[in-house]
Amino acid sequence: MINEEALGWVIQTRDPEFSDWEGFTAWLEADPAHASAYDALMLADSELDSFVPSEPVALPIAANDPGVRSRRPLHWIGGGAVAAALVAAVSLGVANRSDIYSVTTRPGEIRTIALDDGTKVELNGDTTMRFDRKDARFAALDAGEAAFTVRHDEANPFRVTVGDAVFEDAGTVFNIVRTKAATRIGVSEGKVIYNPQAEAIALPAGRALADDAQGLRVMDIAPAAVASWRQGQLVYSNAPVTQVAEDAARSLGLTVQFTPQVQAIRFTGTLQLDRDPARFFAQAAPLMGLSAVRQGDAWLLKEGNGPQN
Amino acid sequence: MATGLSAIFMANRPALLRFLRARGAGDDAEDLLQDMWMKLEAKDLGPVSDPLPYLYRMANNLMLDRYRSATRRERREQDWAEGAGGVMADPTEDIAVDDRMVLNEQLNEARAVLRDLGPRVELVFRRFRIEGVGQRVIADELGVSLTTVEKDLQKAYRAMLTLKQKMDTE
Repeated sequence: MINEEALGWVIQTRDPEFSDWEGFTAWLEADPAHASAYDALMLADSELDSFVPSEPVALPIAANDPGVRSRRPLHWIGGGAVAAALVAAVSLGVANRSDIYSVTTRPGEIRTIALDDGTKVELNGDTTMRFDRKDARFAALDAGEAAFTVRHDEANPFRVTVGDAVFEDAGTVFNIVRTKAATRIGVSEGKVIYNPQAEAIALPAGRALADDAQGLRVMDIAPAAVASWRQGQLVYSNAPVTQVAEDAARSLGLTVQFTPQVQAIRFTGTLQLDRDPARFFAQAAPLMGLSAVRQGDAWLLKEGNGPQN
Repeated sequence: MATGLSAIFMANRPALLRFLRARGAGDDAEDLLQDMWMKLEAKDLGPVSDPLPYLYRMANNLMLDRYRSATRRERREQDWAEGAGGVMADPTEDIAVDDRMVLNEQLNEARAVLRDLGPRVELVFRRFRIEGVGQRVIADELGVSLTTVEKDLQKAYRAMLTLKQKMDTE
């Protein structure tokens, strides 16, 4: 059982701005048991360090963003529950309507969809999306990667549904990747609002958001790196090699495997996409400090430079 | 020591003593206060923006350290009595593969629990607990009320502490 009052004081006294030490003293004096309850919870709190991974969390500073900020308080009423209900409603509506159609690209295939409102969606390889013939402002990315060049309409924003998350444009070019384990978005022009009915996190150009096993994170991204696959390049800053492998697989239509040691390696740099996998890996693997070996239909990435067999 | 701080210390000595007693220091309260004084004398802290809260926090940390070392001693003695680990485990030693697997599992479980609370609660908790950002600042950043941040934090803490208790008894 957790002593709720003690927990309240644990949180308050951990706050760098806490100053009501007299109030805290009074609470402690009210019952000698209070001090031991507080001590026990503070100890448990300090031991949380061992299993709360300390990944960086960066939030957009709302003060930079007056337009969105003024709308925010409304969105927050009801909070997550409303958002969840809305997403559920949207999903149901989608499932029951017959004017939804699906577009799938093969690995290595790139396809451009022009929507009626002037919005352009470029699907990278191995990607599945759904669109609505009756509503050009709707798109769902079910798997893979797509770049969006959106014709902005304030009264009727363009929304992309990715699993439970919604990205809403505010005049925008952006790229979304969805794999089994993660959703990532990068914004190169304009602004995108993540889950406008819940968190309402504004992502201006040069910002990226990732939602994966490590949680929800906002970070910087070079606008030129967003959807660079359209220019035949993959651009990374400190990205896990596993992500590079997934991207290469999608763009080139390959299966990429890696040894366990490789999974922890991170990569910063630019890779040129090449239709010929052997040429691609001959160029890309050394840049990542790895070597690539062909194994049947798949390519195996492993540690070490130079050709190895 | 900054003269401002020493003056504040002297002026608030009774209040700090009262705080240490209430924190459970008992007869040691005077000694602890003396320790604090020595520590303040020993280092040149430079100007402290908020001297009184700083002194209270220092006293509170002294009490937490005391509690921590007492608990550690108790646990060690208990481990000895139960014969668990006949050789004292060296904390600097590499963690065994089994332990690392358990640790990884716990890490994943903790992540899952945190995620289930929803992205906003997770963000608030990480920002507060890991990055040490104050509640008022977080509320400003997110454009929500302080009460919302407080509630989110309590929710996250409750879940994480409950999970920790469960793990400790497993």
